[in-house]
Amino acid sequence: MKKPYVVLIGLLVLSLMFSSCATAATEEPAAAAEAAQVEEAAEEAEVAPMEEAAEPFRVAVVMPSAINDVAFSQSMYEALLFVQEKMGGADAFDFVYSENMFVVDDAAAAIRDYATQGYDLVIAHGSQYGSSLQEIAPDFPDTSFAWGTTVDTFGIPNIFAYEAASQEGGYVNGVIAASLSTSKKIGVIGPIETGDAKLYVDGFKVGAEATDPAIEVSVNWTGSFSDVALASEAATTHIANGADVLTGSAQMVVGAIGKAQESDVLWFGTQANQTSLAPSIVVASQVYHWEGVLQEMIGLINAGTLGGQSFTLTLANGGEVIEFNPDYALPDDVKALADSTVQGIIDGTITITLPAAE
Amino acid sequence: MISEVLPDFRYLDSNKEYVMVKSNTLPSGQTRIDNMEICGITKRFPGVLANDHIDFDVKSGEVHALLGENGAGKSTLMKILYGIYHPDEGEIFINQKPVTINSPMDAIKSGIGMIHQHFMLVQTLTVAENVALGLLSSRGLLTDLDRVSKRIIELADIYNLKIDPDAYIWQLSVGQQQRVEIIKALYRGAALLILDEPTAVLTPQEVEELFAIMRQMVKDGYALIFISHKLHEVIEISNRVTVLRNGKRISTHLTSETTKEDLARWMVGHDIEFITSHEKSNVGEVLLKLENVSCNSDNGRHGLSDVSLEIHSGEILGIAGVSGNCQLELAETITGMRKTTGGHIYLGPDEITGLAPGELTERMLSYIPEERMRDGVIRNFSVAENMILREHHKSPYSRSGFLRLKDISAHTDELIEQFQVKTPSQATLAKNLSGGNIQKLVLAREISRNPRAIIAAQPTRGLDIGASEYVRAQLLEQRKAGAAIMLISEDLDEIFALSDRIAVIYEGKIMDVLTCEEATRERVGLLMAGVHPKKKASA
Amino acid sequence: MISDLFSTTVIIGIISSGIRLATPYLYASLGETFSQRSGVLNLGVEGQMLMGAFAAFYVALKFGSLWGGVLAAILVGAVFGLAMAFVSNNLHAAQGISGIGFYLFGLGMSNLLFQKMIGTVETVQGFPKIYIPFLSDIPGIGEIFFSHNILVYIAFFLVPVAWFVLNKTTLGLKIRAVGENPDAADSLGVSVIRVRYFTVIFGGVMSALGGASLSIALLNVFQQNMTSGLGFIAVALVYFGGWRPWGILGGALLFSMVNSLQLWIQVLGIPIPSEIALMMPYILTILVLVVSTSKVRGPSALSKPFERGD
Repeated sequence: MKKPYVVLIGLLVLSLMFSSCATAATEEPAAAAEAAQVEEAAEEAEVAPMEEAAEPFRVAVVMPSAINDVAFSQSMYEALLFVQEKMGGADAFDFVYSENMFVVDDAAAAIRDYATQGYDLVIAHGSQYGSSLQEIAPDFPDTSFAWGTTVDTFGIPNIFAYEAASQEGGYVNGVIAASLSTSKKIGVIGPIETGDAKLYVDGFKVGAEATDPAIEVSVNWTGSFSDVALASEAATTHIANGADVLTGSAQMVVGAIGKAQESDVLWFGTQANQTSLAPSIVVASQVYHWEGVLQEMIGLINAGTLGGQSFTLTLANGGEVIEFNPDYALPDDVKALADSTVQGIIDGTITITLPAAE
Repeated sequence: MISEVLPDFRYLDSNKEYVMVKSNTLPSGQTRIDNMEICGITKRFPGVLANDHIDFDVKSGEVHALLGENGAGKSTLMKILYGIYHPDEGEIFINQKPVTINSPMDAIKSGIGMIHQHFMLVQTLTVAENVALGLLSSRGLLTDLDRVSKRIIELADIYNLKIDPDAYIWQLSVGQQQRVEIIKALYRGAALLILDEPTAVLTPQEVEELFAIMRQMVKDGYALIFISHKLHEVIEISNRVTVLRNGKRISTHLTSETTKEDLARWMVGHDIEFITSHEKSNVGEVLLKLENVSCNSDNGRHGLSDVSLEIHSGEILGIAGVSGNCQLELAETITGMRKTTGGHIYLGPDEITGLAPGELTERMLSYIPEERMRDGVIRNFSVAENMILREHHKSPYSRSGFLRLKDISAHTDELIEQFQVKTPSQATLAKNLSGGNIQKLVLAREISRNPRAIIAAQPTRGLDIGASEYVRAQLLEQRKAGAAIMLISEDLDEIFALSDRIAVIYEGKIMDVLTCEEATRERVGLLMAGVHPKKKASA
Repeated sequence: MISDLFSTTVIIGIISSGIRLATPYLYASLGETFSQRSGVLNLGVEGQMLMGAFAAFYVALKFGSLWGGVLAAILVGAVFGLAMAFVSNNLHAAQGISGIGFYLFGLGMSNLLFQKMIGTVETVQGFPKIYIPFLSDIPGIGEIFFSHNILVYIAFFLVPVAWFVLNKTTLGLKIRAVGENPDAADSLGVSVIRVRYFTVIFGGVMSALGGASLSIALLNVFQQNMTSGLGFIAVALVYFGGWRPWGILGGALLFSMVNSLQLWIQVLGIPIPSEIALMMPYILTILVLVVSTSKVRGPSALSKPFERGD
């Protein structure tokens, strides 16, 4: 074999290591330590069934973007940290994750690896992983799998499904946005017209239009979850078109938030609290709290139920929370309207009718 | 010993008389190289001794020819002189002083220029840009093409070369491109020029023009090294000739004191019988017929247009032409490897236009392709596998999809024997054979089937004299057996030696088809250049 | 509603956002043009952009110096270019594959560094817009052409510079010759390897600057994989532009403007499915490529490693 190929392969291996290796969740920075931990985990897996009581509950997560995306993946990461703390640290609840698995094939390989290593629960955090999971789960009947966002467990007994009723938070954001807009134009930036993002955007539209029928909500899909430049230019376009309130879904909105701040246009967040990105203009964020769902699943697994159920985050069950930016001076009447809207959705006095799918 | 052959500072004029060169400054302004001497140069490549203690020299005012077969070591020697290769042993002297030449840059600085067989020109740049490339500019970082152009015109005027400095290389004919190469070397101050197979791509007229330029340069005091394997050219142009064989210097003589037969014997190591003429064979019915055939070419320029030809049984039709005038397209069109855009092709009474190569195999059309390494054999297949490529799917070589190795092996042995293919074994990969033996392998496969028609494209290109003569003899053998043969060749000698009739191709058109009696070198040469002698006469 | 597209606001919006979107392409494509004209296909542009974007962002964030960030991007781009040049020139590696290797390396490395050195999405104060006196006051024109940040101006200024260098200097002559016929250049004493080292390093620097133009001038954030395929479009634009700086300028502007046109189509609610709108720039690219490639030939020695002697 010639030298060039050796170098090439070396490069490829290095890059694969950096881009997609499983990263342990505990606060150990060095890659070597992480590798060691994965090995350790593998060893543990062999003895796990015998000493189950003494072993921590072990979870593995595969995520499409990074744990600090201030959006979808971060919400799950924070929930895992929360549960870990609640259950008494890494000794009781141990988790590892693979982030940036935007290539579905890579994700499928990771899911299978984790299942082989004997994790108690393997979470495929992305609706694009569904068909992979459908294939893998039956091969590991003693491992529990979860995926979202969806309600479909494929009827497989060891798959849980979870989703967020993001139209609810979207609706509340829409109500507040319509109340604050003076130009009566609102811009929405979405990634791909499907799943969680579509629910959020539809809910937002319905909420805004219910508050002020004259409001004009225009939506821009960028066709990508990661194209920061295009999302940012979409924001600029909305602003040029006269929008004075913006919202958007997926991790690429960070660029758009920057543009909103530059032009002093209001922003509504979703999936995670986006206040830190632009403290002066973020009004409120719909935040997902997966910890409830996680705890419920853990309970079921410990009791012997490995799947077959689906969960939905709602405002009512506390899975979704509207978090306001304390630094933004929200008029009291709008705040009151927002609170009553949340209450109305929880009570069922407000029902959100989404436009029929085309 | 060599230095005794000629006294210094003179050239041989056309009357073979010595004339003194007066000034030691050349017309280009460069100082003359009175003599250059190579002593004991040795160069080893893995497994090959390419140059074995070779002595060679050239003086101002002479053409010293370097003659040898492919692989004799002439190119290696010249690449050493030009700094592309580094010698393992030996020294180079210029004007009696030792010089070290580590790169083409050093060679250029020492006054050595090289006209490569494959021109070293950048097609997408202009003449002036090609000349200016790599030189310091009078304007520092910016180019000074106007100055370069002026100097080019000055240099071109000395030898009447007529070059437009602003023309792009791709717009020029092969002959013009060669002149650009000469100008480029002169511009860099060459006093010694190495001409590596400079006539290979030229028409006879262009060869004459080149020789005229060379004669003038010699008169002016340049030293020229002329590399060739064409004996008659060496005899025509050189003052001295050195023959190399298998990396060794065999002889150095005044050209006037040698004969073609001597040179050939020194080159090959034994006597060679040249196929000069051949008996008339019995020409039969028309076997291969092209009617107004047209096709596209790869480079988007002219393809074949309206080509009509007939080849009879027992006849060789030579296709003469300068390289790149759609010879490849012609061969590929007939053999089904390229689509026609018009016209009809017949093999015997049947139309074969548009048939796939496999189909043509069935109809006994054979093809000896120009790129034998690419189209003739599969490099990583064994000799045996290559032998049965055409008929591997048929009895006796395979049955129900399984290869019958015993029959294949027996067949291969027979052909290796019959066609004198030198190979260590049947299992040797084709890529490890020499060029001559690969061609014999192709011939064995194509000819042993007793085809009705054979398309032979450049069948002897790159082969040594022995192998070439063998290939030619085999073609004549097939002609005798009644095959219709199309011989496409850029080597006019070969065309004249073998053909019953000669068709000349130029820019995808057949200029004319001449009988042996009508075809003179001059007439064919003009046609190859796209000039119709009759039209010229009437104008 | 389609008539809305022809209002002044929309037209100004399309052109000015086209100019902004074209900026990172211009840097990367001009750099890639140099390396391709010299015969080296560098498919690692995307990785180099990400590394440049990260380096510039990190320096701007931690040290508060935007020009320091530009310098950091230049250095990182040069290092990456040097590595690519070494692999393609000295090791004679297949350039397509090694380029992909560098892309993956840059993608993973920029992500790793981001996680370890910054950790979360943050924003910086990027290069401010520079309003050219008087010119920026011209209605319409001023907003379109004279109200951008310095890296946008530099990108457009580099187009004539690149053209000049390629066509009017001895260096440019060497680059073109080396990409067309390296043997000929070599025989005239031009160091093929040295020329290719220069162009590939230059390409790396330009790609990194393209990345920096995103992270500290246009978007002012860094996020993993933020270029999102932009580097590959930049390579395609080199073909699109026929390996000529002005062609690349045209291609980059056309692509970017069609992209901003589709943004407006969606924003104005013109009833075209968003998927179709999103495809517009790519469909256009393919169409232009189909029409133009029959006429323009690329450098003959593109992606062929050079080795002296035969």
